[in-house]
Amino acid sequence: MNESGKGLYEKVKNKIEASQEEGTLEKQFGDFWKFACVIKTRQHDLRYLYDDTSREFVDKNRDNLIEMREEFVKNMDAYVEKCINIMRKKNFTVHYAKTNEQAQKIFMEELGDARIIYKSKSNEAKDIGIIDVLKENGISIKETDLGDVLVQLFDYKLPSFQVGPGAHFTEEEIAKKIKEVYGVELEPKAQAIVNYFRSTYRKELLNDVKISLTSANAISAEDGTIVLGENEGNISLITRATDKHIVVCGITKIVPTIFDAILVTKLQSRINNVSFNYISLISGPSNTSDIQGTSVQGMYGAKEVVVILVDDWRTKAVNENLIYADFLKCIGCKSCIYPCTASRAFGNIYASKYGLGATAIIRDYIHNGIEAAVNDGLFLCTGCENCYHWCPVSINCGEILKNMKKEATEKGLAPPYLEQYKEKIFKDKNPFL
Amino acid sequence: MTKLIYLGCLSNSRYQETCKNAIKIIKFLDPSYTVLEDVPCCGALSYHIGSDIELKDHVENVNSWFDLNDISQIVTTCAGCYNYLTKYYAQFLGQDFKVKVLHFLQFLAEPENLSKLDLKHSGKKLKVSYHDACHLRNAVIPIIEEPRRILNSIENVELKEMESIKTNSICCGAGGGVYSIFKENSDYNSKLIFDQLNRGKLLLTACPFCFTALTRIREENQIKKPVIKFEDFILNIMEGVDPLSE
Repeated sequence: MNESGKGLYEKVKNKIEASQEEGTLEKQFGDFWKFACVIKTRQHDLRYLYDDTSREFVDKNRDNLIEMREEFVKNMDAYVEKCINIMRKKNFTVHYAKTNEQAQKIFMEELGDARIIYKSKSNEAKDIGIIDVLKENGISIKETDLGDVLVQLFDYKLPSFQVGPGAHFTEEEIAKKIKEVYGVELEPKAQAIVNYFRSTYRKELLNDVKISLTSANAISAEDGTIVLGENEGNISLITRATDKHIVVCGITKIVPTIFDAILVTKLQSRINNVSFNYISLISGPSNTSDIQGTSVQGMYGAKEVVVILVDDWRTKAVNENLIYADFLKCIGCKSCIYPCTASRAFGNIYASKYGLGATAIIRDYIHNGIEAAVNDGLFLCTGCENCYHWCPVSINCGEILKNMKKEATEKGLAPPYLEQYKEKIFKDKNPFL
Repeated sequence: MTKLIYLGCLSNSRYQETCKNAIKIIKFLDPSYTVLEDVPCCGALSYHIGSDIELKDHVENVNSWFDLNDISQIVTTCAGCYNYLTKYYAQFLGQDFKVKVLHFLQFLAEPENLSKLDLKHSGKKLKVSYHDACHLRNAVIPIIEEPRRILNSIENVELKEMESIKTNSICCGAGGGVYSIFKENSDYNSKLIFDQLNRGKLLLTACPFCFTALTRIREENQIKKPVIKFEDFILNIMEGVDPLSE
């Protein structure tokens, strides 16, 4: 333990103070985020695209989803085995990694001599530590989702919103940055910026990608199909116009059937009110049997699809009934942050390197321990459980965080003032005297 | 067998007028309820900061006090006490926790109590809004419809719902001890609650933590519409006082 409760409290307090000062990155993000949360929660009850609202869609499917996720968690080993078997039969190259370290090693071996990798947004790759290892080995990571491209362009180091990572940059800022980095004068309009990347980057994505990295929105155990949703087309390009498409994700991305996988993907789109204009179902590498019925791999699409399924903390969480065991049900929709009291108020202060909000803090706790979680703003959670009411699979992040707070207290990492409260409760029978 | 009015530490320490009002209402409806001295704190806050051993110890001590005083039933005016007494006492003590716990709103919303109260507001029709406290909506037995039933029963009072209500309500930012160390949470979230108070002339809350946060934000932002504790509001109506005149 390097830090005391007091030290960590002061660190968080300083970040909050910075977030209140005009002109700081924290303040800029905080203002954007407050606005985004209000819009996102409002959209939840609007009927602007479909006959039903997103809330109604979620409510209609909640029981089914919970049952599906609980069934998976209960029989995780069997589903993983089933999934791997069918994937191998379908000519995927499948690796099962017991730990993140193993997954990182396998990944580097699969990379071979390649020095550049094109990736789409992947929280799982961060979770599994792939990004850190690539950076350590000097591999150039080329982001393809425009939001991530912008984050990279700005060299933005603070946590940002997983679903729209660059959404807090203004048109003026982006145009100015492009002028500064590429020397190109653009009209500060979204359309002009998009046109610029389409005319410059798209060619590269069609012609130069040798190795691409994605996660999966869901994977069907019944037929080994990987489902990937997107709206830009970057995933479509880099999973087809590539030699090797590597999929890295936790085993919890597996769901029993292809219909479950589609439902999960659809739900991720509905609950975030983002359109998935493209949904890819990838059932193996590109293949043709058009010459004499001989099956040959690598026609126009990916020559090889490598899947690295990672266990790491997951089986252990079930077997040892760890405080975050419920988190295994998570389908990664990330919608729990919109109604979160702490996230709204504190933006990227209540966050970790895995992104914003409670789930990102839980991930940091799993990988880096309780001190990291306290530093991420664990004690900013009021326990309002809005995340739980919102969650399509009813995970109570508030309860998980409450248990994490207990651990922090036991290890002397709680804010000192709270410790005094506890004393008053137990000794004086009234904390407010 | 004692029926106890469990006021909660925060109300008891900071809002004594409200406590008196609550006692008046409860005793009017059921004179067998009593108030005792030296009532121990339910320990709500320590669920965020105590170890399981410390908590179990505390819960057992409080339960012994209940036993010692022969407490069979509690009406609590504190949202936090209701949430924690119903959730964690049962969890830590199982069958050993024999006290029936009701929140003030549950008690009030019982049909016989509503008819006995027969509440009427004299004067111009009063439009009110109600803020759902996390402690009440998240409880093992959630309290969501009761306040609405009570308000709808009052003649000449109209409930004007805000945008975020019931399980979807905005947290005031005062839960989990956050209020004492990071007030910036309520700076933003409590203000959001007031921003939704469009059609209601006043904001009602049944939680002393929410009341504390909302009152501060109201004063700091010079908001005209008042925030009123549910108990105070009901007593005003009972006594024919205009809640807006206070």
